[in-house]
Amino acid sequence: MSSIEECVEAALREPLYVACASVAVLLVAGAVAYYKQLRFIVKSLNRNKLRTGLTGVATAVLVFIITLIWSILWFLDLVTTEKAKDFKAIVTERWQLPSQMPVSYGNSLAEGAASRPGDIVPQDNMTWQFFGGTIDPAKRTRENIVFFFCMEPRKLLTMMDGIDEFSETDLEKLKRAISEMEKDKRKVVIGKERLEAMNKKVGERLKVTGMNYQDIDLEVEIIGEFPAGRYGQSAVMNRDYLNDAMDDYNRRLAKSKGKHPLTEKSLNLVWLKIPDTDAFRRLSEQIESSSLYTNPAVKCETASSGVASFLDAYRDLIWGMRWLLVPAILVTMSLVIANAISISVRERRTEMAVLKVLGYSPGQVMGLVLGEALLVGVVGGLLSSAGTYYFINEVMGGVKFPIAFFPAFKIPRDALWWGPMIGGLTAFAGSFAPALAARSVKVSEVFSKIS
Amino acid sequence: MTEPIVRVGGLHKYFRRGSEQIDVLIDLSLDVPEGEYLALMGPSGSGKTTLLNLIAGLDQPSDGEIWVGDHLISAMSEAELARWRTRHVGFVFQFYHLLPVLTAYENVELPLLLLPMSAAERRQQVLTALDLVGLSDRLRHRPGQLSGGQQQRVGIARAIVTDPTLIVADEPTGDPAARSAEEILNLIVELKRGLNKTILMVTHDPRAAARAERVLHLEKGCLVRETAPV
Repeated sequence: MSSIEECVEAALREPLYVACASVAVLLVAGAVAYYKQLRFIVKSLNRNKLRTGLTGVATAVLVFIITLIWSILWFLDLVTTEKAKDFKAIVTERWQLPSQMPVSYGNSLAEGAASRPGDIVPQDNMTWQFFGGTIDPAKRTRENIVFFFCMEPRKLLTMMDGIDEFSETDLEKLKRAISEMEKDKRKVVIGKERLEAMNKKVGERLKVTGMNYQDIDLEVEIIGEFPAGRYGQSAVMNRDYLNDAMDDYNRRLAKSKGKHPLTEKSLNLVWLKIPDTDAFRRLSEQIESSSLYTNPAVKCETASSGVASFLDAYRDLIWGMRWLLVPAILVTMSLVIANAISISVRERRTEMAVLKVLGYSPGQVMGLVLGEALLVGVVGGLLSSAGTYYFINEVMGGVKFPIAFFPAFKIPRDALWWGPMIGGLTAFAGSFAPALAARSVKVSEVFSKIS
Repeated sequence: MTEPIVRVGGLHKYFRRGSEQIDVLIDLSLDVPEGEYLALMGPSGSGKTTLLNLIAGLDQPSDGEIWVGDHLISAMSEAELARWRTRHVGFVFQFYHLLPVLTAYENVELPLLLLPMSAAERRQQVLTALDLVGLSDRLRHRPGQLSGGQQQRVGIARAIVTDPTLIVADEPTGDPAARSAEEILNLIVELKRGLNKTILMVTHDPRAAARAERVLHLEKGCLVRETAPV
């Protein structure tokens, strides 16, 4: 394959490039087809700068809100949609939420409970134990609380979604931090935004008083930070540190206070990587039918359905956002544009009639009105989505809208074509009726009223 | 005698207001030879503007036929009429109706945008039309920056720029704000002579009628008499 073909193929894989290329082709085609009328459309919009500006601003504001909402829904859809590759399964306790399984389950689950030749063995695995604590037991505010994923540090690179999207610099820093965490289990990595909220920096030491693990306090040293964004509020600890602390508690206090209540319940989730859906089906049967996991029983589901169950608590909120808020905003956008274009058409009935006298067909008159609305909608939408993408991702570090274990949402690059698309479609919908009215202006009626 | 360029036969136009039928033109027939300057006069409501609109293809008759050249325009659809008007009719309005956002040049260029011609050809025709009406030095002026007489001259340039078969003018000297009726009438006569255009003009102005070759008087939708100008 030639290098040009490779470049084209690589470009086609990028939705942003495809969208930009499509928009560019449409614009060029439109400009070629209507370049003679484009100047007239722009001048018509220019006659009432305030109205055009306000319509554009209203479009931009509504596109901004839609972009924020769609970014959240887009991400949730992404994580709850089954993937064809990098397929992951989650094993949790079958009958209880939150899931609490014995740590001993971890080793055999990592092997997929394979016991016979031909059984499916996962390609990779990761265990999660959740340790939530406060750095100020006397003042348990949101800022003082930190929630650790206790896991094998190196699994951060192979099993966590989205790490491959880190910049090369961030990835290098993370690799160094993982190496440190493996050498010294007290070292932890915390997200940039969580560190800012706690007013802490890399290099500082913390004493974290356990909240879900009563009487387990851990002293940690911050060795690295996750960049702002998906993991900006997250924290990761070497699981051995938590497990050693539990063992220590049981050694010291088992006789006087009994074993720690979470001794056999500290494993919350096991992630398994398998090649495809068929392997998942067999793995799921293997695990769920295994005699190793009877008390408590476990269930094995796809990562997407696992995440979907976590999101179940937010079902009404997400439904409302998707089916009430977004349509309401789209309708509002259409009405704003419809209002502005209706006024404009009403004011310019004589002008429309003059155009018809000069030979403009009803369709061409309609096209001019639609063109004005589309220009405002597409340009307003494009500027808004580009501004939103830059401001939210680069300045704010994502949309701070905590749902389940997702603290913030980045605006995806796809949003760059959402704006012009939403702006264009709502402009088209909003201006269609006024454009029809312009199309059907009766020349004889207009001039008989004038003279 | 020259062949008629406009042939109107058995023309009937009525409007409906509820169950009532209001006849505006009744069984009207008319021939206009090519190159004639014809004035239509009559009291308000006599149907002269309606007749002009029908001949210019801006409205459809209720009955009867209208031929302009080889085109039976009374049988054309709205879109066909629009295409036909572009090439065959130049319209001069009483109140000019220039587009305020466009310059004099762009206003005159507007009908040419619908025709398949290059930018250079368009430019040449626009400049020629503006030169004929004596506004070569006002190309970049917007209507608001021109006097009433100048605006009407831009309107006339817009009407002739496509080199139409017919020029129809509805009270071109009727704007009381304009004090240049003589100037406009002289220009129309000059254009008629120089370009041999057929001109149909609705007017109440005896000065305009005096310059026409024939004056038709309408009353209650009928042609009542034909006079020669004084």
